[in-house]
Amino acid sequence: MLRIALCSTILCAAALGGCKATPPGRFESRIASFAKHRVLIGDRDEKNPLANNAQTIADGKEAFSHYCIVCHGNDAQNTGVPFADHMSPPIPSLASAEVQTYTDGQLKWILDNGIFPSGMPASKGILTDDELWSIVIYLRHLPAAGSQGIPDVYNH
Amino acid sequence: MNNRALTKAFACVLAILTVGLLVGHTQAAPHRVEVHVKRFAFTPNEATVKRGEPVLLVLSSEDANHGLRFRQLNIDLRVNKGNSAQVQFTPDITGDFVGHCSVFCGSGHGGMTFTLHVVN
Repeated sequence: MLRIALCSTILCAAALGGCKATPPGRFESRIASFAKHRVLIGDRDEKNPLANNAQTIADGKEAFSHYCIVCHGNDAQNTGVPFADHMSPPIPSLASAEVQTYTDGQLKWILDNGIFPSGMPASKGILTDDELWSIVIYLRHLPAAGSQGIPDVYNH
Repeated sequence: MNNRALTKAFACVLAILTVGLLVGHTQAAPHRVEVHVKRFAFTPNEATVKRGEPVLLVLSSEDANHGLRFRQLNIDLRVNKGNSAQVQFTPDITGDFVGHCSVFCGSGHGGMTFTLHVVN
């Protein structure tokens, strides 16, 4: 019964709004951003247990390269990712104010749980806690846009 | 042979025996801990060692590249697929230390743990 109701709702929404991955409007983006920063993304006060040093940044960069780069690029700023602007919502640059204004705890929450209904997946259980926290530190020390080349997967 | 010569000879023998005992003691075989790893588990997944006792940790991969990292113990052992790698260390703190696979090996990578219990 629940499945039927869910399918009906999705079909109605698709009929009314369509399924195209069109860019969200400015109003929609503002509402979504406010809701995520203030309400939906948890662990705002969680502190990063790892030391903020060169070793942890290197660890984070390595962990980020496991599969984050496929969507975010080697530099976490979408360099070389052909579909980054064609998703709805588009993949944000992780150096942008939109992302950098999350607290460390919120970034870890996003890495753990993903963000529905964007394409951001949950990584809890796929990467270790240490790896995820080190990625948070790497995100605070991103290299210059374009300085890391294009992910190998897009070079063929 | 006078008394002085006898004393010197006795001192030499005593020194040699002492050095031999010390060398023998310091070269005692370390506690060998053998761990097999494959996607996505360590077998066994825990071991107990003593603080101050040398430990030889041997990691054998049965499939892909893996690693075993204990951040608090500053140990990161990595092994290529199908091979073994080892590291010797002497834990100087007690506690339960949870190590993780340090080489990304797939969807279950984040759940791979090995607990090292270091006791007095």
